[in-house]
Amino acid sequence: MIKARRKIGFHVLLKSRFWVIFFFGAILFGMRLTKGAGYLEFYSLLLKPILPGTAQREWIQQGEKIEQHLRLKLLEEDNIRLRRALSLKEFNSDKRISAAVISRASRSWWQQLEVNKGAKDGVLKGQTVIGPGGVIGLVDSTTPLTSRVRLLTDPGHQIGVWVDRTKRHGILIGMGTNRPKLIFLNKNSFVKIGDAVTTSPASTLLPPNLIIGVIQFIDENALPAPYAIVQLTASPEAIDWVQVLKNNG
Amino acid sequence: MVRNNKKLLIFFIAISLPFFIISSPDWLKINGISPCWPVICLLPFSLKNSRLISAIASIMLGIFIDSFTVSDASYIPSLFLLSLVWSQYGLHNKKIELFLNIGLMAIFGTALVGLSIWMQKIILHVSLRNNWFHSWSIYVLISEIIITGLVAPFFSSWLLFTFKKN
Repeated sequence: MIKARRKIGFHVLLKSRFWVIFFFGAILFGMRLTKGAGYLEFYSLLLKPILPGTAQREWIQQGEKIEQHLRLKLLEEDNIRLRRALSLKEFNSDKRISAAVISRASRSWWQQLEVNKGAKDGVLKGQTVIGPGGVIGLVDSTTPLTSRVRLLTDPGHQIGVWVDRTKRHGILIGMGTNRPKLIFLNKNSFVKIGDAVTTSPASTLLPPNLIIGVIQFIDENALPAPYAIVQLTASPEAIDWVQVLKNNG
Repeated sequence: MVRNNKKLLIFFIAISLPFFIISSPDWLKINGISPCWPVICLLPFSLKNSRLISAIASIMLGIFIDSFTVSDASYIPSLFLLSLVWSQYGLHNKKIELFLNIGLMAIFGTALVGLSIWMQKIILHVSLRNNWFHSWSIYVLISEIIITGLVAPFFSSWLLFTFKKN
């Protein structure tokens, strides 16, 4: 019996086997083209439930914090030991007196604060007063229960400061506004806008390395010495609590 | 009635004045500047009293106010001058207690006090001499003049009435 020849045509494409081969080939080609991206994505999705989670990240961060804290403590102890050897002022964070601002005249002819801690609590004239952001002034006078703080912005108020990056000393003079003037002692200041101004680490009057402000304007050609305008980081107008540093009395 | 007024007078000067200076309430400020309280108190007193009494009162008031500020510049010279001028001007049957009149005198008084402190600061602080035109001084002076001019007609007029009744 003679079998009829199978017709060759498009109907072959509709056969299921062809499509299986075609899709398998396409997947292989795609995998080759994407360098196995699909596989990797799938693998990562599979691994997600067993990957280190937030808890583990927190443990690591906590460990890092502890390490940094210990390093800071060691460095502070080292710093105190060296400062003692050089007979310089120490900065000890334990010797602070928290005080509330009971009166404020931060924009008047006299720029001052009255705080509710006085001689009875160990506050002495000349001690440094800091607020959130940095130094805000020095104690001008005390009564048994209160102290008067002369702000850094008070016209004519002068303190010695330095720019940490360039290691240049200067005198910060209050000009009545929130931007005191910094007159440098050197002919060339080499400072840039944005440099931090701190208390001098060589100071015998103020605790070292306390943030005061940021340089906002410089005039290198000014005579007799270059000067800069400093934007204070602490704002006395918005501070309700301050800390008096006892150790520079 | 007279006794009551006297009590009010003593209360205002002895208690309210330092209270206003120390607390410097925000609702009595313009741009963070309080009124010039010594001018508000001295104005009616000088208008009512003789030159000598006013001068002594101005010095005492100056010493009192200076105790609330940090060192250097003083209120005494300007207050002394104002007491002499105002006591010379006097009342002399004028309707001085009119609001605008009192306010205008307080404005001139505050301007003199402000300029005096400004000059003293420039003389006392070498660092401020490099730049005589201080933006801060202009700011404080104008703000203080405005707020004192607004507050004085109320407080000073009331004080003047009380002084006259006593």
